[in-house]
Parts: sequence; structure tokens; C-alpha cells
Amino acid sequence: MATESTPTADDTAADAVADAADLSSDEDSEIRLRGVTKRFDDLVAVDDLDLTIRNGELLVLLGPSGCGKSTTLRMIAGLEVPSEGSIEIGGEEVTETLPQKRDLSMVFQSYALYPHKTVRGNLAFPLGKMDVDDEEADERIRRTAELLEIDDLLDNKPGQLSGGQRQRVALGRTIVREPKAFLMDEPLSNLDAKLRVQTRSEVRSLQQRLGTTTVYVTHDQEEAMSLADRIAVMNDGELQQVGTPKEVYENPVNEFVAGFLGEPSMNFLDPDRLTRSDADDSVARTGSDGSVVGTASDDPFAETATVGVRPEDVGIAEEEVTTAEEAGQRADGGQAYEIDGEVLVVEPLGNAYEIEVDCGDDRVTARLRDRPGAVSPGSTVTLRLPADAVHRFGANGEVIG
Amino acid sequence: MSTKQSTYRHVVDSFKTALGLGESTLETSLAERVVFYVALGLTLLITLFPFYYMALASLLPESSLYSLPPTLIPQDLTLEHYRTVFGPETFPFLTYFKNSFVIATTTAGASVLVATFGAYSFARLDYRGRGVISRGVLMVYMFSGILLVVPMFQVIVWLGFVDSLASLFVTYLVQTLPVSLYMLGNYFRSIPEEIEEAAIMDGYSRLEVIFKITLPLSAPAIVAVFFFTFMIAWNEYLFASIFLQSQSVFTLPIGIEALSSSFRQVWGQIMAASLLTSVPLIVMFTYLEKFMVEGLTFGAVEG
Amino acid sequence: MVSLTRSGDRTIEEKEALLGYALIAPALVLIAAVILYPVLYNVYLSFTVVPLRPDEAPQWIGLEHYYNLFGSSAFWSALRTTIVFTFFSTTLATLGGLGTALLFNRSFRGRRYIRGMVLLPYVAPLISVAFVWRFMLDPLYGIFPYLGSDVLGLYAGSIDILSNGDTAIWSVILIDAWRYFPFAFLMLIARVQAIPGDMYEAAKIDGASKLAQFKDITLPELKYILATVFLLRWIWNFNKFADIWLLTRRVETLPIYAYQVAFANYQHGQAAAISMVLFLALIVFVLAYVAWALDW
Repeated sequence: MATESTPTADDTAADAVADAADLSSDEDSEIRLRGVTKRFDDLVAVDDLDLTIRNGELLVLLGPSGCGKSTTLRMIAGLEVPSEGSIEIGGEEVTETLPQKRDLSMVFQSYALYPHKTVRGNLAFPLGKMDVDDEEADERIRRTAELLEIDDLLDNKPGQLSGGQRQRVALGRTIVREPKAFLMDEPLSNLDAKLRVQTRSEVRSLQQRLGTTTVYVTHDQEEAMSLADRIAVMNDGELQQVGTPKEVYENPVNEFVAGFLGEPSMNFLDPDRLTRSDADDSVARTGSDGSVVGTASDDPFAETATVGVRPEDVGIAEEEVTTAEEAGQRADGGQAYEIDGEVLVVEPLGNAYEIEVDCGDDRVTARLRDRPGAVSPGSTVTLRLPADAVHRFGANGEVIG
Repeated sequence: MSTKQSTYRHVVDSFKTALGLGESTLETSLAERVVFYVALGLTLLITLFPFYYMALASLLPESSLYSLPPTLIPQDLTLEHYRTVFGPETFPFLTYFKNSFVIATTTAGASVLVATFGAYSFARLDYRGRGVISRGVLMVYMFSGILLVVPMFQVIVWLGFVDSLASLFVTYLVQTLPVSLYMLGNYFRSIPEEIEEAAIMDGYSRLEVIFKITLPLSAPAIVAVFFFTFMIAWNEYLFASIFLQSQSVFTLPIGIEALSSSFRQVWGQIMAASLLTSVPLIVMFTYLEKFMVEGLTFGAVEG
Repeated sequence: MVSLTRSGDRTIEEKEALLGYALIAPALVLIAAVILYPVLYNVYLSFTVVPLRPDEAPQWIGLEHYYNLFGSSAFWSALRTTIVFTFFSTTLATLGGLGTALLFNRSFRGRRYIRGMVLLPYVAPLISVAFVWRFMLDPLYGIFPYLGSDVLGLYAGSIDILSNGDTAIWSVILIDAWRYFPFAFLMLIARVQAIPGDMYEAAKIDGASKLAQFKDITLPELKYILATVFLLRWIWNFNKFADIWLLTRRVETLPIYAYQVAFANYQHGQAAAISMVLFLALIVFVLAYVAWALDW
């Protein structure tokens, strides 16, 4: 079932950004999917999807292969027709409209440039079906080519271009029409890693500059995190969560979202293996804002099937907390859980250290800023998991509390 | 191993290498290369000798043609056969040529048109019964000419098309459709669907996509289909022999056969006429081969 | 806005389906009119006696033509001739094409042009090819009989290769193989060249002999296309008429037999029956072949 996060302060901020960037789209281009389902014979590719893509925002459809994100994009485009449900663009019902008439444009993963046309021809082709005179068409082509820095390639054919250049032409072809929205299907997947990161920020600034609503599909969570105004996480045809990157990262609603976002991904542990770090069970537990959240005799993991904690939140337990005062002075309120294990690997990554610890049934990855002192492969170590960094998941995978 | 045995071994290995059985071109010994070129030369000799002989015989004077031993290297050459062939009394070659050309061109053009639409329908569009229809069309190819000639004759008579080129046009057009559909269909399927979808997103209807995107990208296959149909129409004998009766509509195959049965000792003229009949096809083929082979062999790769 | 929950086909899918039907319609209509209808008409004719006068209606005689056929030795002989001709010409053409494809697999100077030359027998008009072979095999002036008797001393006197019952069929088989091996070559060469060179190199490193390389790498990769080529040539050669008729009248395959019955004896009904049997025999062979090839 679809779950949209409840609006937070971050949401409003994102709206403001989107509104401010809304330069050229003076038309309503909000895309609404309601109850959209797509079946291929027995396979349900998309199941009862409710999603709204707001005017001017860049929404990323994120998920593993086969999760239905591309199918959803194609349904918005009109290349697939929903088995059930409705799609609206700018307030108009388009579920049955031909893709030619939806005033959208699309970048394909393979770019799908017209091999027999020059770059100029590729850029001009979409304009052929629009009501623009030759002068304006030329002007648009010129502007687009300049914007994407391909103006010196206009007379070449796609076969003569490099991958990065072809990608730009594909983008150019998309924006030259000035449509209601851009649809992008993994446009950066075919670029090599370095180029991908570089192009990513260019796509982002381009979209913000133009202010056009964009639906972007990718399986790369890092890409999603850096590009999106909001991310819609999908799995197995179902929408898992929609929210700003911060929201879905810090407040995942289920195990899938929690595990999908973040690299290295979240550690999942059996709560029974954790111990409390403060010696005195009767110490009142303090939340991060200083309020009392309950007494120590509550079992915090009563209904928890799995506990999740991100590697960057995991620390190494150094001193024993002896008094409640000292515990209270610690930044995280002193509440933490601990787990012991044997160090397997210590990986220096340049700006951080990653250690992998074998804790019996579970493996825990920790990412630390500083070189861990007495830690080396083979040694035993106690890991410290701050209480407010811990996510609790129930038996059904959904987050508790 | 004795020298004889090792030499034998070497030659056998050379033979196998020569047949390109996986050997890279870098590691060839002289013996291997010799064997290869011998094999190649033999193949070319077998393939081309009849054509050499055809050309030769068309240029030899009658005295050389009808004497033994047969001449392989000519002493005298003559153009008398060609002159006879072009003389309208014995052999209205130009009429026959014109008829063949008209029929072949119109049939090839029409075939490309009909097959292009049909093949696109098979390759890209989805509708009930598509699989059955496409397989059925291929099965039709198994009907032999001889199966059709008797009933077709009745039909053509009934239509009043006997003794006219129209009868051939219809026959040839349909005979070549299954293969044309197959070749074009395969080629269309090899064009990435996303390119067409991009054009659709750009606002073009399916028909516009076919004309502006698919067809320009399918030039090799279209050329192949055109040539293939042209070749079949140009060569066809059975139906032309049954449907055509008066000399004025004869196509080249029928015309040459009529020539051979009316006189004796006309080998020179027949060879000349045969060569002239071959020339247009060979010229077309040489010129178009570059474009075509991609279109033809696509059927092969697809199986 | 109303939330719609319809399922099933929608406008765009219906539109594309309609277009699909429309685009295939011309081809279908033509095929139905010019092939299917005559075939059905042929079936009908095979049960009738067709009178010489065109305005008289055919007389229904049921299966009598078929009974006559199965009792006539001419028919069985024609069937046997057809099978012999088809089998050998198809096999030889396929093997020839295979050998040539292997030969062309290594690059050599002028390969592109020479490849075009090799296709000549297939591309040249049948009439030209038939006549030049007739001339080359002419008992009086032909070069091959001369080579056979006077040069190689294989026999004395003049033999009309194409008119002698024993030699005619083999000449026709060889000439047919010569004409159609380029087709097999064309179909095979693309596949042969697509076999990655790495496989052979790996085999060589493992010490495989050339023969082993052929058997274990080349042949399996070509299995499917070889089977297809063989099948296609079988179908076409089974039905061949002009290729034989223009060379000799002494090789009587079923198509030739049918033609003679139809246009020499004017028995169109009987001829229709013969061509029906030809068709059915072909179907039987094709089905048997496909079943056998699938197990392979």
C-alpha cells in the first residue's frame, strides 16, 4: 500500500524550493496517479499506485530492477496503458490519451537517438510536430545546444559522438520541446562512474533552471539522494514511501526502504543480541531532546523483530558509563545499546574507516571518522549503538515508533 | 615419423587450415596459404566458368562454335550473333527486354510497398491472431508453382488476363510476398523499439514513424527485397510460359526458349541473348550488393 | 476527478491493433485471392474431370484420379525421381555452401568482391544458365562430353548426357547444386563469421586439432542454420519445375509429370490430383524432418 509521509518542515521547504525554481512552467503540470495498476498476463507490475508529482519538482522513482518504476514511467508517458486507475496531468485526465498528445518528453536509457539524422536533425525532429515557425525552431535549437554545450556538434551524426555527448543530445531533444514534464528513464546508467557523477549535478541544475516537472527513474540510491526533491521508493510493484531524501533516509517506514537507501546499507540485527550500555537498569532513559521517555525496566524491544542501525551511527564503546550524570552528559543522552563481536576487516577509505565486525549471527559494518584505536582484525570489540539512531522494525517489516 | 608421413600430415593440416577452421590469419605457413588459394581458385573456377563460356560462345564465329575440339581461347571474335539478336525479325529482343523490365520493376516496387506495411504489422503491432497469420503466411510459401498453375490458369482465363502482362504481375507479386514479409519483418525487429518510441513521444503517429524513422533505417532490407523480387520476376518461366501466348508480350525467358526451338544451330544467338539477359541482373546486383547483404543475411542470423 | 478502475484494452492498444490489421490487409487479401483460392480450387479440380471446352463444367468423379495415380507406375517412378533429385541436390548444395562459407571465413584480399562473384550462379537468370549448360553438355559440340570421351577417354562415341536416362538425373542434380549452393553460402556465412574467435583460440590452447575444432565448435554453432537451409532447399527443390524442364525432358519429377499431364494431355483434373499428392508428400517430409531435427 502506498504510504506518503506526513508533511514535515522539510516538505514545506522543498515546496518553497520548487516554487522558486518554477520559472518557465507557468502551466499546471502536476502529475497525479490514482489507483494505477498494470498487469501483464499473470504478472502484476504495478499495484494500486497513488502518487502525486508536484509542479516543478524532480521526483525520483527509486527501486531495484523489476520493481515497476519503469512501467510507471511508461504509463505516465502513455507508452503503456494502465489496467486500472487514472492518470492526470495538469488537472487533465490523460489515462486514455495517446502519448503523442500528452505534451511530455522522454529520455531513454539507451538515448534512442535517430541514427540517420544529425544532431541538429535530432533536435529539430520534435519541433516538426509543433506549431513553431522555422525561425523559432532554429532559435530553440540554438539555445538548447548552447545550454548543453553541444553547439559544435550540430552537424555530426550520433554514431560519431561519445557516450557523454550522445547523452547530452538525448537531453537536448527532451528539453527543446519545452513540454509539461520531463520523463527520464535511467539516463545516466550507460555512462562511466566519474562522468555519471559529473553529469548528475548538471542534470540537477538544468532542471532547477528550467523549473520543469520531472519524473526520474533510477535504481541507484546515491543518484536519487543527490538529485531528488522527493523520492518515491518502490518494490515489487508497490510504493513503499514518498518523501524528501532526508525523510526517507532518516525515517524509513519499513525495512526495505531502510535497507535500500544508504551506502553502506543499514545493519540489521537481532534485538536479543543487544545489551544496554548503562550499568544501572533503573536509570531513567532520556530522549535526545531531554524528555524522559520511559523507565529502564521497559523492554524497548518488546515487539521488535529486527533492529536497524546505519554504519555511520555505530561507534566503538570505549569507557564504561559509571554514573547517571556522566551518562546524561553524553550527546546522545547516554542511551545506547551494545553488541560484541570479532573484527574481521578494517578498511581505510581515505576520509573514513570502515570496520566489519562479526557478531555471531549478524555482521555489523561500522563507519568511523577516526582511526579506531585498539582495533585490528581478530580482536574483540564492543560496538555502541546510540538509542536514538536505532530503528525498530516489527515482524511485518514496518517501523515501530 | 618419416618425411613422407610428416609431409602428408602437413598437407592435410594445411587443407584444414585453408578451410578456415578456426585458424587465425597470422599463423599461416606457406603450405597452408597455397592450399587455401588453390581451394579458393577451384571454387571460383567452378562457379564462374559457365559464365566465361557463355560470353565466349556469344562472340565466337559459327565456324569455331560448331567444330571440335571446342575452343577455350578464342582466335577470332565476332559480333554477328549480337547483330542477329537485335534484329527484330529473328528475335525481337528489345520487346522481350522491355516486357521483362516492366514486369520486374513494377512487381518489385509493389512488393516492397505491400510487404513493408505487412512486415511492420508483424514486427511491431500487437493484435489477436498475429502469430497465426505470420506463421500461416510462411507456410503458404510451401505451395509450389505447379500446384497453382492449373487453377491459376482457369482463374486468369476467367478474368480475361490471359496473354497479358497483368497476369504475371499479380502472380509474381503474391509469390514473393511471404519471403519479403519474412526478411523485412526480421529487419524491422532488429531496430531498437526505443527509437520508434522516442518518435512517438515527439508527437508522431505510427504511420509517420514508419515513413520517417523505420524505413530510412531499413534501407538495406528494402533494397534486398526489391532486388529479390526483381530477380524472381525476371527469371520466372513456368507461369509466363502458360499465361503468355503472343510474341509481343513474351518475357525474356520465353523469348529465348522460342528462339531455340525455331531454328537449329542457333547457339551463338542463344548465348548472346542469354548474356544480355543476365547483364541487367548482374549490374544491379553488383551495384546494390553492398547495401543488400546486410538485409539478406539478417534473415540468416535470425534463423 | 473520478477514479476509474476499468480493466482491459484501452484506446491506444485498440488503435494499434486496428492499424496492425489494416497494414497486413493488402498482403492477406492478395495471398488469399491468388494463392489460397487457387489452392482450394485445385483441391476441387482434383476430384473432377475437366473437359477440353472451357464453357463446359467439370465433372465430379471423386477419388478416381487418386486411385489411378496410386495404380500407375509412372506416378511412383515420378515420386521416386523427385525424392532422389531433391535429396541429392539439397545435400550437395548445402555442403557446397558450407565449404564455401568456411573458406570465406578467413579474410583475404579482395574478399568482398569475390564473395559477390560466388553468388553469380544464383543471381543469373535461369534461362541463361540452363542454356549455357545445355550447350556445354551438347553431345556434338559440348565441352564436357568432349572432355569425357576424347580427352579423358571415359567412353567412346557421343553420349547425350541430358537425354540419357541414367546420366540425365545426375547432371540435373549437379547443375542444381551448382546453381543453389550460393544460397546456402549466403545463409551460412553470416552465422559462421559470428562465431567468436575466442572459442577457437581457447580450443587451440587446450590442444584441440583442427578437426576437433570443427566438430565441437563450428558444427554445433551452425546446427540450427544448417537444418534451416536444408529444409528450405528441400521444400523449394521438391517443387522445382523450370530448372529441370529447361535442361531435359528425361527427368520426370512429380512437377514435370503434372505439367505434362496438364498441358500435353490436357487432363487438368488429373494434373490437379498429382499436384495435390505432391503437396501432401512434401508436408509429410517436412513434418518428419522437423520432428527429427528437433530431437537432434
